[in-house]
Amino acid sequence: MKRVAARLLMLALPAAVILASCKGGGGQSNTFKIGVVSSFTGPQAAFGQAHKNGYTLALADLNAKGGVLGKPIELVYYDDQGRPDQAVQGVAKLVDQDHVPVILGAYTSENTRAMIPAVTQREVPLLIPTSVADNLMQTGSPWVFRVCQGSGNYAHAILDFLKHNGDPKTIAIIYENTNFGQSNDTAMREAAQQAGLTVVDEEAYQASSPDYKALLARVKAKNPDAIYFGSYLLDASTLMRQSAEVGLDPRYYTAAGTGFSAAEFPTKDKGAGAYAEYTISVSQWLPTAKWKGSKEFDEAFLKLTGTHPAYHAMEAYVTLAIAVAAIEKAGGANPVAIRDALRALWLPETPFGPIRFDEHGQNDHATLVTQIQDGQYKVVWPPDAAEAKPIVPTPPWNKRQK
Amino acid sequence: MDFFTTLQAVVNGVLTGALYALVGMGMALIFGVMRIVNFAHGTFMMLGMYATYVLFVQAHVVPYYSFPLVALGMYGLGYLIYMALLRPIHGQSDFMQILLTLGIGLAITDAIQLVFGADYHQINFPLLEKNLHLGSHITVNAPWVVSFGIALVTGGGLYFFVMHTMSGRAARAIAQNRYAAPLMGIHLHRVQAFWFGLGVSAAAVAGSLLLPVFYLYPGVGDQFTLKAFVIVVLGGMESIVGAAMAGVLLGVVESLTSLYWGNEWALAVDFAIFLLVLSLRPSGIFGRQKA
Repeated sequence: MKRVAARLLMLALPAAVILASCKGGGGQSNTFKIGVVSSFTGPQAAFGQAHKNGYTLALADLNAKGGVLGKPIELVYYDDQGRPDQAVQGVAKLVDQDHVPVILGAYTSENTRAMIPAVTQREVPLLIPTSVADNLMQTGSPWVFRVCQGSGNYAHAILDFLKHNGDPKTIAIIYENTNFGQSNDTAMREAAQQAGLTVVDEEAYQASSPDYKALLARVKAKNPDAIYFGSYLLDASTLMRQSAEVGLDPRYYTAAGTGFSAAEFPTKDKGAGAYAEYTISVSQWLPTAKWKGSKEFDEAFLKLTGTHPAYHAMEAYVTLAIAVAAIEKAGGANPVAIRDALRALWLPETPFGPIRFDEHGQNDHATLVTQIQDGQYKVVWPPDAAEAKPIVPTPPWNKRQK
Repeated sequence: MDFFTTLQAVVNGVLTGALYALVGMGMALIFGVMRIVNFAHGTFMMLGMYATYVLFVQAHVVPYYSFPLVALGMYGLGYLIYMALLRPIHGQSDFMQILLTLGIGLAITDAIQLVFGADYHQINFPLLEKNLHLGSHITVNAPWVVSFGIALVTGGGLYFFVMHTMSGRAARAIAQNRYAAPLMGIHLHRVQAFWFGLGVSAAAVAGSLLLPVFYLYPGVGDQFTLKAFVIVVLGGMESIVGAAMAGVLLGVVESLTSLYWGNEWALAVDFAIFLLVLSLRPSGIFGRQKA
């Protein structure tokens, strides 16, 4: 064992020297570096790709306008592979080696939560584009800023919709057993009880399983009026397909965005196809949003990828724009100055709506309720933003047209 | 839970378990003959899924027809990998084998990622929409039934091969005593390469059969390496019949745990059983107790 260790060391040392000598000259570079952590590989790669597309478009727009402080912007990507330990590694690498003064990321709430102590310790601001768990904003860290809404807002938006559209009495919550899922479960349980609904079942599940039929049978036995999912994309598809198989027929299929709001979800090739129909979810942004620049973003995204964007890509887009605005205001690469600039930032007009962070670092943003109708996301709530009438209650599986 | 809900969960568990069984049998074969714990096993399963996926997308062959081709191709790959990589470390410490198979797994996963990207894929064909009703209470999704049938035949074929053919006998001889077997005229490496290939192709067939009801991305096999490991230990390390039974058992236990305690407990129960068996009955539930 000792000899093996010695050999490994002999191999590792020269490798480290070579790597260190390759890097060099970080301080004198001609670009302004900004760090990005997201899940470009692994089970969350679809969302990581959405992030990357959003960042790519933002980068092109911002550099076309001259970059920041007279330098072109360079994004340093770190792939966390969907794993929290890798996300923490990402912070270490981006701050200690690349010396970035601000980090954007990660994708999942689990990973973002893991990054918060790391950025707080290194005193570098973290801008969160997409992670919705409520506990991310409860750490008291002054270095954390979140662009998207939290799981509490999701629960309230769905409950408000339900109350005005048939007023169900019971709800079951099905959630992935990670920070993201647990946070949505807690948020919905508390909000539902306040709203006078009975939570008849709470089911945590292990992500990426091939078989959820037993879980769905449990929910079916409780016969809830409504179901609320906290799921990422791959599981969302499996859950809906198997719900049909099990014959689970609540009056409302609702969800905390994410998998149920991904652009791929209603498609047959990459999602649940027809099984996604009628599901109700939340969205923070749609290509049809009224904010200036939304349409342009949609067009540019379509040109880049051949598909329409979901809100995850927009959140990445606007997060980079926010970071650059703050750096511009801070006048340099000092993390403290950038943090203070973020705190005082007021961007009245972005394609994601007005941006302003409260004293906890949370951006105030509206939550829309959507329903999939004919394979398209349609805003159905609140009434002043609605583009279609909701179809409720959900038709049972055996009454649906194939 | 009423009787039919429980029965339904058992049926679903058996259907999933048949695929676990196939993955586990492959791993047990490799361990039994070669004493190699194949940490790349799930990776080979993933590779089988990609091969199936390519055949479906490029040639429009559904997995239930393409799996023999996938099995053959993966057999060949397994044979080559044994000859090129595993043979040179023959007789060296277990540590080397663990590192090597882990390394093979990582290299293949990265290669797949390079070629196909990190994005996930899934396939669709009409059979997936079909649900069969057995009586008024039990429903099964057609692809699971077809894959169960194929897994049964494949598993049975493997068993027949081990027990009733010359190369099966040679493999069992090596498993019994790998120093004496070559003295009896058995060509050690040729036989081991053959069985390594077969073990790999069993995992790949399980991948083919799983693809229609699942999705694939380069890291999809990892969880199955762990499952195969549990199955092989439950089944008594080298017994392929034990592995088959342990696979089905694991499927049923997961399904019933999900039904009665909740899905979040399924994995915990898997590993609780694993630890219990390791500490109380290290030769496995279905293995023969050795002195």
